[in-house]
Amino acid sequence: MIAALALVGTVYAAFTPSAPASGEPAPSSDAAAGKALFNTSCITCHGANGQGVDGRGPSLLGVGSAAVEFQVNTGRMPAVRPEAQAEQKQPAFDEKQAQQLGAYVESLGGGPQVPAGDDFHSGANIAQGGDLFRVNCSSCHAFGAGGGALSSGKFAPTLANASDRTIYAAMLSGPQNMPVFGDNQLSPQEKRDVIAYIQNLKSDTSPGGLSIGKVGPVAEGLVIFLVGIVVLLFATLWIAGKS
Amino acid sequence: MSTHAGLHAAEAEAEEFDHNDPRLTRFDLVKEGARRDGVEIVHYAPRFPVPGTRREARIVRTVSGMFLLSGLFATAFVVAYIWWPWKYEAGSNLNKLYTPILGLTLGLSLALLGFGIIAWGKKLLPEEIAVQDRHDGASPADEKKLTGDTMLNMVDELGIKRRPLLAKAALLGMLPLGAVAVAPLIGGLIKNPHKPDILFHTGWDPALNSGKPIAVTRDDGTKIRPEDVSVGGQMTVFPGIYDPDTHEFVGASNDHADSPTLLIHLRNDDADVLRANLSHVPINEHNTWGNFVAYSKICTHAGCPASLYEQQTNRLLCPCHQSQFNILDNARPIFGPATRRLPMLPLTVGQDGFFYAKSDYQVPVGPGFWERP
Repeated sequence: MIAALALVGTVYAAFTPSAPASGEPAPSSDAAAGKALFNTSCITCHGANGQGVDGRGPSLLGVGSAAVEFQVNTGRMPAVRPEAQAEQKQPAFDEKQAQQLGAYVESLGGGPQVPAGDDFHSGANIAQGGDLFRVNCSSCHAFGAGGGALSSGKFAPTLANASDRTIYAAMLSGPQNMPVFGDNQLSPQEKRDVIAYIQNLKSDTSPGGLSIGKVGPVAEGLVIFLVGIVVLLFATLWIAGKS
Repeated sequence: MSTHAGLHAAEAEAEEFDHNDPRLTRFDLVKEGARRDGVEIVHYAPRFPVPGTRREARIVRTVSGMFLLSGLFATAFVVAYIWWPWKYEAGSNLNKLYTPILGLTLGLSLALLGFGIIAWGKKLLPEEIAVQDRHDGASPADEKKLTGDTMLNMVDELGIKRRPLLAKAALLGMLPLGAVAVAPLIGGLIKNPHKPDILFHTGWDPALNSGKPIAVTRDDGTKIRPEDVSVGGQMTVFPGIYDPDTHEFVGASNDHADSPTLLIHLRNDDADVLRANLSHVPINEHNTWGNFVAYSKICTHAGCPASLYEQQTNRLLCPCHQSQFNILDNARPIFGPATRRLPMLPLTVGQDGFFYAKSDYQVPVGPGFWERP
């Protein structure tokens, strides 16, 4: 009996310390550093535990590190003011700090994470990515990924400067007014295909010469109209003028 | 006819003009020719009366240069057309310049040719001022009378009054020919637009699946489970119908171009707002499933794909004319030219866990037509 009790006690002692570690991991050093950053820069709008503050900022529970990575690394967060479209600006944190913030937000409520690595486009299927881009992305970001207008002054930004990780994080988290494309909807491989297509668009020079921001036929028509009309106007003035 | 008076004056002068007179220069003949057409040359002077000045030589050199350059660019066009690499290759390379090079060389060639010709005309041809009389508006009275009588004479010649049978036979013969002309126009109006009733039915009509509900599928025909669409996400879906003969997936084909639908997974709070709004709309009250709602993707204004989904403001935008629809209020148009709501697809999930359409759209999709302005 004593032996049995001793055994149980030993086993209990052996497993007890590891129990919280396996069930709910202790905050990593990254998360701790992220919490410090969070408490100085994000807490005003997102609340003490990331639960959100009514009228100021949304809850961050379950948004995952993907959302943090996108918003912080593109300078959209911290935002100047709460609004539907946060402005892109010089990032306030470096990538290391963004990663720490992400780890902290991840520790609050989990959520999607961008896989490790910086290169998501090598070896992916560009043609398949083009198909997916035209079905899912082109209605807002335009066929050439130049971006486009939304309602009330909001807009879908150009993807000209977006890195592989930024695009991946955006698809996972659905920032601002962008719909969410979770892994059930676009599998990780399909996301890589889409990224490969976008990066191919960017590295490929335009066969027609000037691409005019790749925002589409309206801009091209406008430029042709304005430049063409001005040239024709001066040509007619010269032809009809007395010499 | 209208230059009647002017011609008479010219003819009067022409009688005094002897074109065989050896004293006349060629320019005198030119002037006379213009005068007979009612054009008077009042000033005519060469630009360079003394031949061989430096200014004249310079202009001649410039114009010749333009023609020669034009030829050079035209040659460059032909050379580029034949030998410039043109096949598509990804990245930045010479092949990408193929179209601009063709445009530039041909454009410059044509422009220089044009500039050369105009410069020739402007700088080297003699200065000339010519005046042409304006024509009188209407024909004179005697002219009208003569023409009118000529036409009446034609009628007399046909002898319709003397031979009435001819007139009647011609009329009777022409009537069926007239019917031939109007038959296609009237025939188009007689056709019944409700048979087949394509404007009121889409690919979601269960009749296309022998009466059973039609599965909601992706563009490749695979069915969709609720967990496939993320919260705050959307998916363009098509009816899961197959060609009865070839058994190929045709839901995303042009035959059912009226069927694309936007399946949206709302946040719980937003879905509550939608359900509250739909409680006043009997036909759509039970057409959502969970927090999912599906609206036709075809804009009710001009039929563009209204698929710009703003997941924070819950609006659907149409890129063509900026119509906006409020997803949480039964797709009410809130901005832009669209006047009708986007139709809602009655949504359900079957025993197998996939999305199905309970029935076809209950109102016609797409832009208005004669019965649905």
